[in-house]
Amino acid sequence: MAIIRDMIPAFELFQPTTVEDALALMAEHGEGGWVLAGGLDSYDWFKDRIKRPEAVIDLGGIDELKGIIDGQDGLEIGAMTTLTEIVRHERVRSEYILLADAAEHVATPQIRNQGTLGGNISQDTRCWYYRSGWACYRAGGNTCYAAAPQAMNREHAITGTSRCVAVNPSDTAPALVALDAKMTVRGRRSSNVYDAEDFFIGPATDITRMTVLEPGDLLTQIDIPSEWANAHFYYEKVRDRGSWDFQLVSVAAAFKTSGNTIDDARIAVNGVAPFPVRLDAVERLVKGAAVDEALAIEAGEIAIQGSRPLKHNEYKQPMMSNLVRRAVRSVA
Amino acid sequence: MAEKIIGTDIAPQDLVAKITGRAKYAEDFRADGMVFAKLLLSPMPHARVRGVDTTKALAMPGVIDILRADEVRQIEGRPGEASLTDEPLYEGQPILAVAAETEEQAAAAIEEIEVDFEPLPFVLDPLDSLRPNGPNAYTGGNRFGGGEFSELKWTDADFEEIEAGRMPNGEAAVEWTKGDIDTAFSESDLVLEESIVHQSLTHHPMETRSAMMYWENGKLHAFVSTQSAQRTKYAIAGTLNIDPEDVILVAEYCGGGFGSKISGNTHMEVPAVFSRKIGRPVMLRITRYEENYIGRARPGFQSWLKMGFLDDGTCNAIDLYIVQESGPFGAGDFNTAGMIADLVYTPQNMRFRGIAMYTNTPPKAAQRGPGGAQIVIMMEPILEKAARQLGLDRLEVHLKNAPDADVGFGPRNSTLTSVYAKEALEKGAEIFDWAGKQELSGRREGSKVTGIGIGLSPYTAGSRGYDGLMVIHPDGKLYVHQGLGNLGTHSIMDTARPAAEILNLNWDQVELVWGDSSRGMPRSSVQAGSQTTHAHSRANHAAGMDARAKVLEVAAQTLGGSPSNYDMDNGRVFRRGGGASMTFAQVAERAIELGGRYDGHELPDNIHATTVPAANMLAGQGLMGVARDNYGGSGGVYSWVAGFALVELDEETGVVDIKEYVAVTDCGTVLHPRSLGAQVLGGSIQGMGQAMTQRWVFDPKWGVPFANRLYTARPPGILDVPLDMKADAVGIPDPQTPVGAKGIGEPPVGAGGAAVTSAVADAMGGHCLCRTPLTPDIILAELEGLSQPFTLEQHIG
Amino acid sequence: MGRWLDFESNPWGQEVLQGVSLELMYLAIGLAVLFVVGHLVWYRSRGFSEHEKTADIQGSVAGIPERIVRHTLPSRIFHWTMGASMLVLLITAFVPLLGLEFAWVTIHWIAGAVLILTIIYHVIHSILWQDFWSMMSFNVREAIGHFRHLLSSKSTEPEKPGKYPFDHRMYHQGIVVVSLAAIVTGVLMTLRIKTPFWEPNAYYPLVDQAISGLNELGEPAITVLPGEATGFVFVIHGIAGVALIVMVAAHIYFAIRPDKRYYLWGMIRGWIDRKQYLAHFDPDKWSVVDGTIQESPPGGAIADSTVSAPRVDD
Repeated sequence: MAIIRDMIPAFELFQPTTVEDALALMAEHGEGGWVLAGGLDSYDWFKDRIKRPEAVIDLGGIDELKGIIDGQDGLEIGAMTTLTEIVRHERVRSEYILLADAAEHVATPQIRNQGTLGGNISQDTRCWYYRSGWACYRAGGNTCYAAAPQAMNREHAITGTSRCVAVNPSDTAPALVALDAKMTVRGRRSSNVYDAEDFFIGPATDITRMTVLEPGDLLTQIDIPSEWANAHFYYEKVRDRGSWDFQLVSVAAAFKTSGNTIDDARIAVNGVAPFPVRLDAVERLVKGAAVDEALAIEAGEIAIQGSRPLKHNEYKQPMMSNLVRRAVRSVA
Repeated sequence: MAEKIIGTDIAPQDLVAKITGRAKYAEDFRADGMVFAKLLLSPMPHARVRGVDTTKALAMPGVIDILRADEVRQIEGRPGEASLTDEPLYEGQPILAVAAETEEQAAAAIEEIEVDFEPLPFVLDPLDSLRPNGPNAYTGGNRFGGGEFSELKWTDADFEEIEAGRMPNGEAAVEWTKGDIDTAFSESDLVLEESIVHQSLTHHPMETRSAMMYWENGKLHAFVSTQSAQRTKYAIAGTLNIDPEDVILVAEYCGGGFGSKISGNTHMEVPAVFSRKIGRPVMLRITRYEENYIGRARPGFQSWLKMGFLDDGTCNAIDLYIVQESGPFGAGDFNTAGMIADLVYTPQNMRFRGIAMYTNTPPKAAQRGPGGAQIVIMMEPILEKAARQLGLDRLEVHLKNAPDADVGFGPRNSTLTSVYAKEALEKGAEIFDWAGKQELSGRREGSKVTGIGIGLSPYTAGSRGYDGLMVIHPDGKLYVHQGLGNLGTHSIMDTARPAAEILNLNWDQVELVWGDSSRGMPRSSVQAGSQTTHAHSRANHAAGMDARAKVLEVAAQTLGGSPSNYDMDNGRVFRRGGGASMTFAQVAERAIELGGRYDGHELPDNIHATTVPAANMLAGQGLMGVARDNYGGSGGVYSWVAGFALVELDEETGVVDIKEYVAVTDCGTVLHPRSLGAQVLGGSIQGMGQAMTQRWVFDPKWGVPFANRLYTARPPGILDVPLDMKADAVGIPDPQTPVGAKGIGEPPVGAGGAAVTSAVADAMGGHCLCRTPLTPDIILAELEGLSQPFTLEQHIG
Repeated sequence: MGRWLDFESNPWGQEVLQGVSLELMYLAIGLAVLFVVGHLVWYRSRGFSEHEKTADIQGSVAGIPERIVRHTLPSRIFHWTMGASMLVLLITAFVPLLGLEFAWVTIHWIAGAVLILTIIYHVIHSILWQDFWSMMSFNVREAIGHFRHLLSSKSTEPEKPGKYPFDHRMYHQGIVVVSLAAIVTGVLMTLRIKTPFWEPNAYYPLVDQAISGLNELGEPAITVLPGEATGFVFVIHGIAGVALIVMVAAHIYFAIRPDKRYYLWGMIRGWIDRKQYLAHFDPDKWSVVDGTIQESPPGGAIADSTVSAPRVDD
C-alpha cells in the first residue's frame, strides 16, 4: 500500500453541544472516535492520513467547556478556552502571569486564536519519526528510531525516557505543573481530578499516550488554585526561531518569597522528557534558602542530575541547567 | 510635464489583486470536466520499481486513469530528471500519477496501489560517497562524464583527517589557480585554516508548483506557477516536443520560486501528458509535503579554506576546496562559490578545487544567490577572525580587499561592467554607525554579549540582447507586453518604466500586458540570476526608443515637418515651440492606417524569431514599438549588497537575537525604491534564515528527510527579524546600460546571512563555528565546551 | 482469533514482521488452563491416586540414609532465584498487556539479567560439580515407554527413573531451548533500550543493517529488508514468552500436585526421605548407597551440611 500525505480522508463529524452528548458519542465510537479541540494537532495527523478516525467529535460547540470563571479558590478554566483568551484574561495576567506568559509562547497569534488550553496540554509529541508515521513504540511498533546511534534526536529527551525518547511539546504544561493546577477528567460514569504533574504520563507507564486520557475520557476543566496566585513567576522558552516553533527547553517556576528568601517553590521544565518534569530536588534545595548566584548555580546543577543525552542533544543539559539557574536567579 | 517614473515609489499594478485575493494562482483555475491528479512518491531514497499493481485502484469510484513513467519523457544515458520514474533516486520522487474526479478519490486510489520496490544502496552525504567502499548514488557509480558513470573515491588517509575534524584535500574534479599560493602563504603574516560546513536547505516558496492543463483544438492550455513566462512556454513545448505556438501559457502570478521554478518545472509535464491521455483537464495540486521533495533545494557544502593575510589586512592568498552535495541531478553552486570568493576578497593568489557529488537527496537547484550566498556566509566569520588577530577594523579590511571596476576574477579572469562595492560599504557603515558600534562589540549585559558584523555579497545582476514589445493603442495608452514572469519582485512592472519615460507618459497611461501568452510575449530572459531589471529595462528602453521614433515620424508625416521638429508629453505629440499636435490615440490610429513598420506589419530583422509570433499577433492594433536590446556592453553585470548586523548572543541559551540590520546596495540606478527595499531586506532575511534557523534533517539509516513542513524547516519568521532594519542604495548608474539599472534579487541573501554569522563570530570573541545554521544547540555546545553534535560528514541534520 | 503474527510497515513502506500478536498470549493462557484441566481429567480417568505413593519398605535398605539429598543449597538457591526471575519476567511481560499499566521495562530487563546470571551459574555448576548427564541423558526405549503409558491405560507403568525422571528431563530440555531463545532475543532487544551499560541502538549491525549483496542483474542490492531482523527477534521472543506461560504454568501445576509433593519438598528442604526415594526412584539408576552417607542425620537439619552423595546429583 503506497503512502500519500497531505490529504485529509473523509470522516464523520459530530458537533455536540453538551459534555454529556460528547461523552456519549465518545463511548459510542470508542477507539474509532477522535476528540477535536482546536484541531492544530489533530488536522496534522489527519492530513498525513496516519490517524484515521471514523468519527470526529468536535468540542467547538460546547459552551460549557469555554471561558474562565473566578472560582472560590482560584480560576476555573474550561478546557476549550483559547490560548488567546488566556493570554488576554485580566486575572490571569494580574495573578497568574506565568500561565499567560506560557500561553503567549505558543506558536503564532493565529494558532493561539484557534488553539485551546486543553488541546495544548493534551497534544501529542512532535517527534518526527513518530509524526512521519513510522511504526515506532509510540505508534504500537517495536522500535525507537530516534534513539538509534545515528538518529536525528536533537529535539529529543534527556531524561524520563523508557524506550521512547520523545518530548512533550506543550508550552503551557510546565506552567500548569508549577501552578499546581488540577485537571478534571470526565468519563461517562466517572469524574476524576488529577494534579497537573500526574496528568502527564511517561512511556514507562504507557508508551502510546502522553496523558492519563484514555479513549472515552474528556478533559473538561483546568483549575488554577489560588495557592500560588501572585507568586514570583519565571517562564522562559528556548526555541530555534522566535515564532511558530516548539521549545528546545522551557522552564516554568513559581516562588513564594520573603525578600530574597524562597519560602516555597514549584519548578517544572519541558522539552527534556516525554512529560513536563517537576524538579523536586531543586525545589527542596531552594526552599528556605536565600537566593544568590551560588544557589542558582547549584540549582541548575541539581536539575540535570540523572539526565543522559542522546547523540545530538547533549546541549539540552546546559540549556536546562542554565534555565533553572535563571529561574532561581530571578528571585534575587 | 509627465511625472518622473524611474526612481519613484509607484504601487505595482497587481497589488490590489494580491491583497484582496482576486489574483489567480495556478491552483485557482478550473475548467469544465477538470479532474485531479495525485502523485505516488517513492518511499525510499534509491530503488527500482519491479512491478506495480493498479487493479484495485483503477476499480475505485471516480478513478479515471494512471500515468506511468513510460508515458513521459525519460532522459537516457545520463543523470537527468523525468517527471515520473521507475528508478527513483531520492525519497519523494514521483513514480506515477492517478487521475480521479476528486482529489480525495485520487489520494485514496494511491493508497491502494501496490508498488514492488527493490531498494538499492543510497548515499546522503557526499563524503560518504567519497569513502573507500562508500555507497554511490547511482548503481553505475558516483561520477558521470564522457557519457559514462565512474567511481571516484578518496583514500583511507583522507578520512583519517575527517575523523580528526579536518577536511581532507582528496582528489578534486575541478581546479583552477591564479598567482602562486605557496609563495603567497609563506609571505603572509597571518594564515587561517578552517573546515566549514554549510547545510542544504529547501526553497519552500509560499506557492507550491501546482499546474492545471488541458488541450483544446490541438493547443495546450497551461496554467502554471513559474518564475518566467515566455521562456516557460518554450520549456513546456520542448518537453512535449510540440510547436511553442501550440502552448497557451497562463502564469499571471507566482508565489515565489527562489530559483526553483525558473522556466517552470519538471513535473508540469504530468498534467500536460495526462490530460492529453484522458482528454480532460487535469489539475495537479502540489502539497507542501510534496513541495519539500520536488521543490528543489540549495546544495550544501563541506569545505576547507585557507586564507593568507598581510599585516595591513590585504588578503593575498586563498586556497578553497568545496565538496558539494548535489542531489541526484547535479548543481553548479560550488563553481560560482569559488569565483565569488575571488571577487569579494580579491586575493592575487588563489587556488580553487571542488567536487560535486551525486547524492540520493531531493534535487538541488539554484537558490537565490546560488553558491555566492553560501560562500560569503561561510567566509565572513573568518575575515572577522583575521581582522581581530591583525588588530584591524573589519571595515578597513573589507575596503582594502573589495574590488574596483577593473577587477578580474575567477578562472577566466572575468571582468565587470561596474563595481561600487566600496561605496556600498562606506554608505552602509555610515548608516549603521559602524565606527560608533565598535564600542558595543563584545559588550556584556548579564549573559548577553553583543557582536557586530559585516557581510559583503555580490551576485550576477544582468544580461543583454532581449526584445521589447509595446503598442500604443487607439485608446491613447501604451501597452507594454512583458514576457517575464510575475515573481513578486515587481520587475515585471518596473522594467516598463524606461519606455514610459522615453515616451514622456504618466504611469497611468501605461498598461502592462503579462501572464498570458495568447496576448503576446516578446523574447525574454528567464526570471533568474537577477537578470530581469537589467535585461528588460534595456529591452523596453530599446522598444520605447523605437516607439518614440515612430511617434515622431507619424506626427511629422501627418502634421508636416520632420520628426525632429516634434516632441511629446503626457500622451500628446506636438511641434516644438507650439502649433499642431496629436494625441497618442490619434497617432495610434494613424499608425494603423500607415501600416508597415508603424503598426507591426513589418518587423525589424534583428529581433528574435520567438518574438515574431507575438508581434505578428499584435500587428495592426496600434503603433508598435519593437526592438532588440543592441546596446551591447562588455563584462559581467554584478550587483552588490553590504550588510551590517548587530546581534546579541545569550551565552546561557545559545540564542542569537538580531537587533539591527542595515543593507546598502550597489545595483546601479534605482527604478523603484520601495520595491528595492523589499528585495534587499527580504533577501537579507532569507539569508539570516539560511545562516541561523533553516534546516533539513535526514535520517541516515533510512535516507529520508524530516523537517518537511514549513514549521519544521524553520525559515525565519517575523520575530526572527530585527525591528530596526534599513535599506539604501549607492545609486550610481551602471555606465554600460542605458537606464543604469542592475538587478538585485540575489546578492542580499549572502549579505544578510554573512553579516549575522560574522556578528556571531564577533560576539564569540573572534571564534568561527564554521557551520550553518547557527542554531542554539551548536552555539551552546561550543560555549559549554561540549563536543559538537554534528560532524563534518553531516552537511544536513 | 486473528493472525498469530503482527506485521508493520517499515519506514520504506515495506511490510515486515513486527512480533507475535496479542492473541497468542491469550492462546497460551488458554492452553495452560486446558493443559491443567486436561491433565486433571486424564489423571482421574486413568484412576491414578491423588496421593503420593509411598514405598513399602522391604528388604535391605542398608546404606540408604533416612534422608536423601536431592538438591543442595546452591542448587536450590539457583532454582528459586531462577524461578522468581522467570515469574517476574512473565508478569512484567504480560500483565501490562492485560491492561494493568505500570513501568515494567526496567524491572523486566533487570529480571532478565538476573535470570542470565543464574543460568550462567547453573551451567558452570552443573558441568563442574554435578552429574551433567543425569539431567541430559536420553533413552529412546524409555521415551517410548513413557508415551505408551501416557496414551494407553493397558501399558505397563514405566520403569522407575534415576534421579531425574524422563518428563523432568524432557521439561528441562524444553525449557533450556525456550529460555535460551527468550534470553538471546531478550538480550538483543535490551540492546535497543537505554540501560546503564550502553546507549540504545534500534538496529542490529550486521543483522538488521541493510546488507548489500548483488541482485539478479549483478548490481549491488539490499537483500534484507531493513527492520525485518528486528521482527524476527520479536517473534522469537514472543513465541518463547508465550511458550513459557504454558511451561511455567505446567511446572507449577505439577509442583503442587499432591502425588508429586516429594519433588516440591525436595526442592524446598533439599532432601526426600527414604520411603519417597524407594517409592519413586530406581536405586540402580540413582545410587545413594555409599559409605560416606550417614544414617539419620540430626533431626530436621537440612541435609547439605551432613550428607553428601558421591556424585552429588542434583
